[in-house]
Amino acid sequence: MPDWLTNIIGQDLSDGLAYITNGKHMMWYASFRFTIFAGIFGALCALTFGLLGAIMLNSNFFLFRLIGAAYANVVRGVPDVLFFLFFPLAFEQGVEYFLAKSNCTADELAANIGNWPPCPDAQWFLGTNEYLILASVSLGIVYGAFCANVIHGAMKSVNKGQLEAAKAYGMKPMQVMLRVHIPQMWIYALPGLSNIWMLLVKATSLLSLLQIADIVLWADRLGAPNYLKQVGLVHPDWRWKYYLVLFLFYILVTFLSERAFAYLRKKTGKGMVDEAVL
Amino acid sequence: MKKIILAAAIAVALSSAASAQTVRLGTEGAYAPWNFIDDSGKLAGFEIDLGNELCKRAAIECEFVANEWDSIIPNLIAGNYDAIIAGMSITEERKESIDFTQDYYPSDASRYAMAAGANIDFDNLSGIKIGVQGATIHASYVEANLAANNTVLSYETADQSVADLVAGNIDVLLADGSFLDPIIEASSGALKFGGPDILLGGGVGLGLRKGDDDLEAKLNAAIDEVKADGTLDALIAKWFEKGPFYSN
Repeated sequence: MPDWLTNIIGQDLSDGLAYITNGKHMMWYASFRFTIFAGIFGALCALTFGLLGAIMLNSNFFLFRLIGAAYANVVRGVPDVLFFLFFPLAFEQGVEYFLAKSNCTADELAANIGNWPPCPDAQWFLGTNEYLILASVSLGIVYGAFCANVIHGAMKSVNKGQLEAAKAYGMKPMQVMLRVHIPQMWIYALPGLSNIWMLLVKATSLLSLLQIADIVLWADRLGAPNYLKQVGLVHPDWRWKYYLVLFLFYILVTFLSERAFAYLRKKTGKGMVDEAVL
Repeated sequence: MKKIILAAAIAVALSSAASAQTVRLGTEGAYAPWNFIDDSGKLAGFEIDLGNELCKRAAIECEFVANEWDSIIPNLIAGNYDAIIAGMSITEERKESIDFTQDYYPSDASRYAMAAGANIDFDNLSGIKIGVQGATIHASYVEANLAANNTVLSYETADQSVADLVAGNIDVLLADGSFLDPIIEASSGALKFGGPDILLGGGVGLGLRKGDDDLEAKLNAAIDEVKADGTLDALIAKWFEKGPFYSN
């Protein structure tokens, strides 16, 4: 801290300020990027999977409807923590299975029955970036199932007359879907989607389960009591203080999300025939 | 799917190319003064100093990786790093899954810590709450010998177990004497040692994947050197005032 600042705010506050801006804390602040990335990329994945799921649920073809229903109902029933642990591991081992088939010699495979991976060349190393992408995709799959259900309902709510009019203009089914059905569906889907977004944001606090040094892991590390002067500031168990900061962060995200969804609702409601929903 | 596999294959090729040049050392980063994250956010401690010294002498380039304690052996075997340097005691149980170098810290007694006012009958331990860090020699010892008549609580990190001892959630904590020593000193009379010292494990060594003989030989030679010229004892003195030392 520069002297002039210390003079203004006093020694205690200055020491405190120096402590919460040291390298360790900076790494904590920087780790918010993982959470933000997982939230945004996870939401994009969820929206994509949700749209695909809803289109399948709305399909006239029996098999597509079955796949859509299976996705929406089975994945919605599995706890997100479980899926979060299951999917990246299953994906990793799946990739390693293919690598083992192409890279391992028959001798290595025979010598390593029961060991995984069967040979060093079949090893896929997962770093933070790989885990972050797999974690976001898992979030996408889990919350995509909820989105599919919401979007399916919203598509059913679109005024039938609109679709018939589009058909009467000579649009093909795909054109009706893309030009009329999906654009008009958003206004009905937004309230449900905003709920799912909130759930997804909360689930981003699970990243540390996948060895990602995220905001929760750093809060644990920084708040853990320290008894040794060599290590740094000696302090008792301060984890609650750090968790409190995380509370505030998530409340801030909630607040900003509310504003963003209010804006979207206005925007998607423009020119809608059915004024009742606005 | 083919593209994903291809991308994965490229990722593997890149990561194995990188690991050919540098040796990655896995540590916990939450076991002061052995290994911890310092105020600047970097790994520091006895084992970071020692690891850098050993790598310099063995003429290999090293890089530290932080990994949670309870997955530190599986992730070594999975190849996320090439050696464990994390205050890990050499035990027969662990030798079944990994190899060890020779010890770089003498066998150190495990000790019980407790609140200063506690009065515990160690000849006849029953009905008390014993805390340990999970997947440690202390956890195995307590599970095998004391779990029948007592409640055993196992913690992810050593810091958490100390926090719970201070908070009064456990009656005693079994941990490395060298880890507890500075904590009890810093507690200014709130905590004390008690009961018998228990000798577990055969010193602390670096953990290696089985069959990684080349790296094992290099590290063993480097440990021989630092033991012989007193560098190791100097490092122990720097981080653990009271030793134990290799020379007398």
